[in-house]
Amino acid sequence: MSESDLVAVGGFVALFALMALRVPIGIAMGLVGVGGFASVVGWKPALAQLASSPIRTITDYNLSLIPFFILMGVLATNSGMSRELFRSGHAWLKPFRGGLALSTITACAGFAAICGSSVATAATMTKIALPEMRRFGYPDNVATGVVAAGGTLGILIPPSVVLAVYGYITETDVGQLFIAGVVPGLLAVLMYMLTVRIAYGRVLPGGETFDLREAIVSLRKVWAVGLLFVSIIGVIYLGIATPTEAAAVGALLTGVIGVARGRLGRREIIASCTEALRTSVAIYTILIGAMLFGYFLAITQTPQKITAFLVGLDMGAYGTLAVILVFFLVMGCILDAMAMIILLVPIVFPVISQLGFDPIWFGIIIVMTVELGLITPPVGMNVFVINTIARDVSLPRIFGGVLPFVMTDVVRLILLILFPAIVMFLPMTMK
Amino acid sequence: MTRIARFLDTLSRMIEVLAGLMLAALTVVIVASAIGRYGFATPIPDAFDYSRLLIGAAITWGFASVGFRGSHIKVDLFALMLSPKARRWVDVFAWCVLLLFTVLLCWKMFGRVETTMVNGEGTSDLRMPVWPVMLLIWAGVAAAILTTTAKIVLMAMGYGSLEEHESIDDAAEGASYE
Amino acid sequence: AQAAEVEWRLSHWLPATHPIQPDGIEPWAESISEASGGRINITIFPAQQLGAAPDHYDMARDGIADVTYVNPGYQAGRFPIASLIEIPFQVTNATDGAAAMHEWYAQYAEQEMPDVKVCMMNPHDPGAFHSKTPIHVPADVNGMNVRPANATIARFVSLLGGSSVQVSAPEAREALSKGVADAMTFPWNSVYLFGIDQILHEHLDMPFYASLQTLLISKASYDALDDDLKTVIDEHCTPEWSKKFSTGWAEWEAAGRQKMVDSPDHTLYAPTDEEIALWREAAAPLVDSWKQDVTAKGHDADAIYQSYQDTLEKYGVKY
Ligand code: NA
Ligand code: NA
Repeated sequence: MSESDLVAVGGFVALFALMALRVPIGIAMGLVGVGGFASVVGWKPALAQLASSPIRTITDYNLSLIPFFILMGVLATNSGMSRELFRSGHAWLKPFRGGLALSTITACAGFAAICGSSVATAATMTKIALPEMRRFGYPDNVATGVVAAGGTLGILIPPSVVLAVYGYITETDVGQLFIAGVVPGLLAVLMYMLTVRIAYGRVLPGGETFDLREAIVSLRKVWAVGLLFVSIIGVIYLGIATPTEAAAVGALLTGVIGVARGRLGRREIIASCTEALRTSVAIYTILIGAMLFGYFLAITQTPQKITAFLVGLDMGAYGTLAVILVFFLVMGCILDAMAMIILLVPIVFPVISQLGFDPIWFGIIIVMTVELGLITPPVGMNVFVINTIARDVSLPRIFGGVLPFVMTDVVRLILLILFPAIVMFLPMTMK
Repeated sequence: MTRIARFLDTLSRMIEVLAGLMLAALTVVIVASAIGRYGFATPIPDAFDYSRLLIGAAITWGFASVGFRGSHIKVDLFALMLSPKARRWVDVFAWCVLLLFTVLLCWKMFGRVETTMVNGEGTSDLRMPVWPVMLLIWAGVAAAILTTTAKIVLMAMGYGSLEEHESIDDAAEGASYE
Repeated sequence: AQAAEVEWRLSHWLPATHPIQPDGIEPWAESISEASGGRINITIFPAQQLGAAPDHYDMARDGIADVTYVNPGYQAGRFPIASLIEIPFQVTNATDGAAAMHEWYAQYAEQEMPDVKVCMMNPHDPGAFHSKTPIHVPADVNGMNVRPANATIARFVSLLGGSSVQVSAPEAREALSKGVADAMTFPWNSVYLFGIDQILHEHLDMPFYASLQTLLISKASYDALDDDLKTVIDEHCTPEWSKKFSTGWAEWEAAGRQKMVDSPDHTLYAPTDEEIALWREAAAPLVDSWKQDVTAKGHDADAIYQSYQDTLEKYGVKY
């Protein structure tokens, strides 16, 4: 090992030590980045990075869609759209066994369509769907498992803040990434519903009588979500406006609809704005830290060395891909989805390009892997969040409930690796 | 809560509302600029530069808010295994590290604002001076020193923690619509 | 590799595969290594690995890198003298043009970029106007959405009654294909590189504008060198080197123009003398506002402007 390798290893050790002590991930990356850079080239240049880099990150127009998509999701939640999605889903799915679990999945998907975050989707749906499922005697493990898995749809079905950040890091078209997420997202919904039937069909309460009138009436309440999704994805697909403009339009429309329906007052709007801003800042902080950490890695030439090492292993393109995906799954135990994408994608992306994989396709694959990390034991962020909200359901019980969904996720991942066309055919039509 | 705790709380919440209103205003500006460009072929000059700079300002003011609320993305796994008392001091340590970063950032960023002012950097369309917005961005970081310190003081005094998600029971109270 | 006596980091923001690295930066760095007998080694960090493109001037100043490749136009208003080069219809090529720019700007570099040693000037081959519908005269730009190359062109577009669409070069294709933009200014072969040749088929065949890139050396790094090594560096920061440095990229871009001439899909329109006069007239206000900016910073704008025209004349590259 050369001296610069030692510095790089020391940097990673310091990074994980600080993170274990609950230092915000972005701050840990930033400080270690600056300190590591200083150890290679001196303090003056290292501190100068602090003067210029963070300000570039926060004023970068290509990132400014983040706060608006998040604001849209928060306004949607605060105007009761997620509850309506759940009610409407149930009105249609109640004749089936496990109807509430199935409607949780559709509601997660619908909410994912307007919300960019997986954890936020899981948190929201826990509050809404869990009490209902309990009331109808669903076992705790199934109820929480469904919510944990359904939550992961948040970062696959567009708009997705994680995909947007991936696009930014890899200079891949965000619009195409969003469109590429549609079919895998729908496939996920379908496979999750099948999982409910196959794995839990016997333990869930049977169907109720279907009431067509009630089902149709329920649709009248979810028009807002449909309108929002269609207009935003339509605007991006047709390229009428930039993704940032589409996001701002989405946020404003959600607010206007909420006010018009009497769901949002001045207080709720201000609260939504501050909440959305806090979530955005949490993401920007990681981005700021990742840039500073990235300069440190660059100066020690770490990404090049990792690329050379992985390519040199000579395991073939798919062997190397498998190593990378397993690495992400393991890291999913400690890092959240956004942090993983920001910290690790810059390190593995050069390998992926060198192996000739399509960057759009890889974006979907890596986001699905990261999602999987959110629900796999020993630690999954979604499971964690659900556990903090539903304190009486233990972690092992939730992990047990989510296990069948983990297995379907693996099957889906393999499908998309074997048949990239499932991901690619829709974005290809954009060209 | 003691008087000082209540004061710090009020101050931090005011900063938070200010930042939130900035985001709301920006949403409207960007939509207006998009409509102007695509709808009427009359873009608002410098909308591009000003909106990205003002988002920067909203972010640093939001940074101040997050410093107070504790909602940074962090690894909770190990902290949650600790006893509440030990966790409190880990939290205080973590936030002291955040404060260190914030102070460094504030110091170095001020130099950046100064050069922008001295060099007369301008926007691309109208060459309007950039430094006032830069100063606003910087002020957010300065406010973050204040709020982060407030959070550290409050946590050390035993008020509040870095936990963020409310439980189902708390959430039920909030669900007043329908 | 054995460590050299002086290890320098060179930072730029273009991809490693962009012609400027293999045809400009690498030969230059190798020549320095050779001339110094291996005592100076330069490691290249491409693609913004060490910092964002607009920060490259400050990066040389602060010692983040020892050598940086800078587009001074990325910080509008900060380097007003240098931005004269961006005003359209002045220079016919980027090779002798680079040498002329070097000789001219050397007079002012110490005033305008005091923190660094300005080593080379590197314009790209003069860019042209590419559009969906033909552009022959300035009035044709009225009402168009244009993706401009830099802030000066953006100003020009709004003078002509068009609006500028600010997207990065990789996003430009999308913006053009979806109708967000109708035209763009770009050097010739870059049109092919970004796949824009499939969308824009009309080209105004005149040396429209020059971009401005410079190669800077951190003063502290330079001052720390032994005198004989300083001489090596000085010999690599000359008008001749500016020309040599710029040639590969310029030829690559110019090849794109020939490719379009030969292609049945593309129409190149060479403006008449009267039309050229119209363009010059339309661009005149840009010179005026440039003079205002430079005067405001306490420089003699007229003398600087005249000196640029004279130097271009001397090198035979005045348009
Ligand atoms: Na989503
Ligand atoms: Na996991």
